[in-house]
Amino acid sequence: MASMLELKNVHAGYGEFRVLHGVNMRVDKGEIVALVGPNGAGKTTTLRTILNMTTRYEGEIKFQGRDITRIPTHKIVEEGITMVPEGRGIFNPLTVYENLLAGAYTKRAQEKIEDSLEFVFSLFPRLKERKNQIAGTLSGGEAQMLAIARALMARPTLLMFDEPSLGLAPKIVLEVFDVVVKLRDSGVTVLIVEQHVKNSLEVADRAYVMEMGQIVLEGEGKALLKDERLKKAYLII
Amino acid sequence: MMDPILVTNNVLDGLLMGLLYSLVALGLALIFGVMDIINFAHGDFVMIGAYTAWLLAMAFWVDPSVTAIITVPLFFIIGIGIYKLVIEPVLGAEPLIQIAVTVGLGYVFQNIALALWHAEPKSFPAPWLNFSISAGGITLSVAKLIAGGISIISLYLIHYMLTKTKFGLAVRATSANREVAPLMGINVKKVYAITFGIGTALTALGAALYMSWGQTNPYLGQSFSLLSWVIVAMGGLGGVIGVLYSGLIVGVLEALGSTFITPSARLAVVYLAFFLLLWFRPRGLFARR
Repeated sequence: MASMLELKNVHAGYGEFRVLHGVNMRVDKGEIVALVGPNGAGKTTTLRTILNMTTRYEGEIKFQGRDITRIPTHKIVEEGITMVPEGRGIFNPLTVYENLLAGAYTKRAQEKIEDSLEFVFSLFPRLKERKNQIAGTLSGGEAQMLAIARALMARPTLLMFDEPSLGLAPKIVLEVFDVVVKLRDSGVTVLIVEQHVKNSLEVADRAYVMEMGQIVLEGEGKALLKDERLKKAYLII
Repeated sequence: MMDPILVTNNVLDGLLMGLLYSLVALGLALIFGVMDIINFAHGDFVMIGAYTAWLLAMAFWVDPSVTAIITVPLFFIIGIGIYKLVIEPVLGAEPLIQIAVTVGLGYVFQNIALALWHAEPKSFPAPWLNFSISAGGITLSVAKLIAGGISIISLYLIHYMLTKTKFGLAVRATSANREVAPLMGINVKKVYAITFGIGTALTALGAALYMSWGQTNPYLGQSFSLLSWVIVAMGGLGGVIGVLYSGLIVGVLEALGSTFITPSARLAVVYLAFFLLLWFRPRGLFARR
């Protein structure tokens, strides 16, 4: 079966500043794939490159068999990929409800807006209570829930998370990972970038380890947890 | 002693002018709020709009305010064209480059006006609306009453567009976080282009209304720019309502300063009041906290 998302020899960066040096990876339908690695390895750049938000020098990115390397970001979202950005990127002056409506901006999402609202409110009842609140007044955990809910409003086939646990209390980090698993089980394919290596490998079906802009290791999430090299580098501190 | 009727008359005059100033300043506020660019040529768009209204009024022998039917859509398109040719290339550039570009654009407009129409003021010789109505010692210009009315309706329509429509949501989302807006499927460049078009169209509307009683010269843009900046600086954070209140305050200050001090000091009065305000509210009238 063909992969849902496939990166072939992708070189990318920001202007003259090259970050990715030939990344090869794939995400299959229904999987949670984790992308882990040290700070500055190029994990965020990989996600941004998939969405055509960086400078790509070489290589190819295919989504559902289609080359998306030259499609502008907003149209890739229309194709069914979206991202919960690092730092959440909530529209602070807007209400919670308006943030959700903005999430459903694409044509593919507009038709299903009522269904989507019902789904995200059942997933995050707190957001329903705070529907008319200005989003800038939410706590960190609530804001992360809103960022996830807003991304779900776009009806993504592939949902990418960029450091979703950054700056959150440990208890809320666990909630976020619970949600990730729930989403996979409801049929959304997930690509997650995380610094919490252990948590993400535990929930991931497969994982890639990235260093210096290249994939250096790949395998099943739980198998990687036992990998000696990885243990040395990240887990045993 | 100040005559209370004269003061009232000035306040009312100032409120009417304030509505017009709010309309023009809203264009500047939209462009700044959405794309973070200070359009230093904003007042010069008003000046070019005033000449365009004057030319059309002369050609069709109608009141200049009527020409807004043509100049507003025309300037919307011109605004989008200028955005594409001049603004979009410098979106990510250093602020100094952006300033040079919009300041330069203003001077280009001024030079074009000087070359085509020279320095002497132009006005429509047979305006339909340039008469006054009086009651109880208060005299108000009909042209200004109509301009104020159309301004407030336009402000309401823009407010409605921003808060109640899908495009307005895209504008506010882009303004709140232009990095993240594309992840919603919002075409940020298109939002920018249309916003610049709307901002420019508002200058044309303001200019056409103003030409019902006013006159234009190549330097008309300066006072509109100066007034727009102070209005946006004081009220811009408060959205359309903030711009409206701030515009009304500026209009009244200008009218009172012009009558009770001297017409040539009207801008100084406005700016001195602005400096004073900043002692107490350094982030403007509508900053949260």
